[in-house]
Amino acid sequence: MSAPELTEKERLAAEHALRLLEGEELLQARGLMANDPEFAAEVAQWEDKLSHLQVAQPPIAPGPELWARIESEIAGNRSADNDNVVSLQKSVRNWQFASIFSAAAAIALAFFAFPAMFGPGEQPATPDAPLMANIPIADTPLRLAVTYLPEREEILVSASGLTADGVHDHELWLVADDGAKSLGVVVPGEERRVAIDPTLASLITDGSQMVLTREPLGGAPKGGEAGPVVAQGQFTQI
Amino acid sequence: MSSGDIAREELKAAMARLANGDRSALEFIYNATSAKLFGICLRILGERNEAEDALQDVYVNLWRSADRYDPERASPISWLATFARNRAIDRLRTGKVQRGAVPVDEAMEITDDAPLADAMLETEQRNEKIHHCLGELEERQQDAIRTAFFNGATYAELAETRDVPLGTMKSWVRRGLAKLKRCLEI
Repeated sequence: MSAPELTEKERLAAEHALRLLEGEELLQARGLMANDPEFAAEVAQWEDKLSHLQVAQPPIAPGPELWARIESEIAGNRSADNDNVVSLQKSVRNWQFASIFSAAAAIALAFFAFPAMFGPGEQPATPDAPLMANIPIADTPLRLAVTYLPEREEILVSASGLTADGVHDHELWLVADDGAKSLGVVVPGEERRVAIDPTLASLITDGSQMVLTREPLGGAPKGGEAGPVVAQGQFTQI
Repeated sequence: MSSGDIAREELKAAMARLANGDRSALEFIYNATSAKLFGICLRILGERNEAEDALQDVYVNLWRSADRYDPERASPISWLATFARNRAIDRLRTGKVQRGAVPVDEAMEITDDAPLADAMLETEQRNEKIHHCLGELEERQQDAIRTAFFNGATYAELAETRDVPLGTMKSWVRRGLAKLKRCLEI
């Protein structure tokens, strides 16, 4: 039995539904998915018909703890956390507004604030309220927003205005007394939540410095030198 | 109404409640479908931890964007099966997973505690045209399409495991897909 040849678009729809494509053709298919409703509908038809093959797939129980993991991930993002994020966003807006005032005012404020916080022989206390840093990226109007949530030992890194150049990644570092500690690679265009181990978390205080470096894709090589610093900023209590 | 029809209606209703933000609906859907979807993810990822991470990702994403499911267009179990397969393949292709770290057969503990999903599949999938249509293809075309579907293999991987040139594999699959399209009336 012979079948008529498929047009290129028909072929791509079937191949994309099967997830056979790679490279250029995958990009082409993704572009069509986003911009061509007819193509997207054809892919959905293929997916629906093919999915009936799954009857041959035996059911296998996942680990009994998985449901609890799912529940806690959802709970974390729905209730307490959402409220937290909403109020944080408000604080961030206020803070960004405040940061429009002159640097001189900020410096005056720092002089005013610092002696009280770092008295002789005093260590800066571990913060119990979120810390925020707003890092301007050199030569661009963009800013990297970094928020530290001490209760959760997590940082939120928002790089929503950034785009990837396909050649470099950027890595965020906490500047500590004994050298820079990686806070991970920044994902352009995304807001990312990163868990920080307790030792690293204990180093984060009001006034902690961070630097952003330009690295090869994937981040600085293990044990190698970090790339050039392209931006820096510091955490501030909000 | 058969038990499969009832199961499908119950699942559809749960998907609608989910879209309204009812968290108990997610638990119902999880209990009804997780063993089926875990089987799909495990077959593709070949390793239990990865498959569990993929499954977690599936249900968390389902919760966050429940309104993506359109009951007019697909049955809920078919849609969920496709969603799980695509998420598992995305995870596989990010390159972090060492494929087949644990042979799938060893990792399998076939369960029988998923009566709902099974009942649904029984009625709605067993008699679907796809089985007949796929059976009409040449053996090597069927084999390649089934392997791509169940294991998430790319053209390059199919060509390598079947030890044929990439161009040959592509033309087998494409001829198979052309016949399938006509038979399925897509």
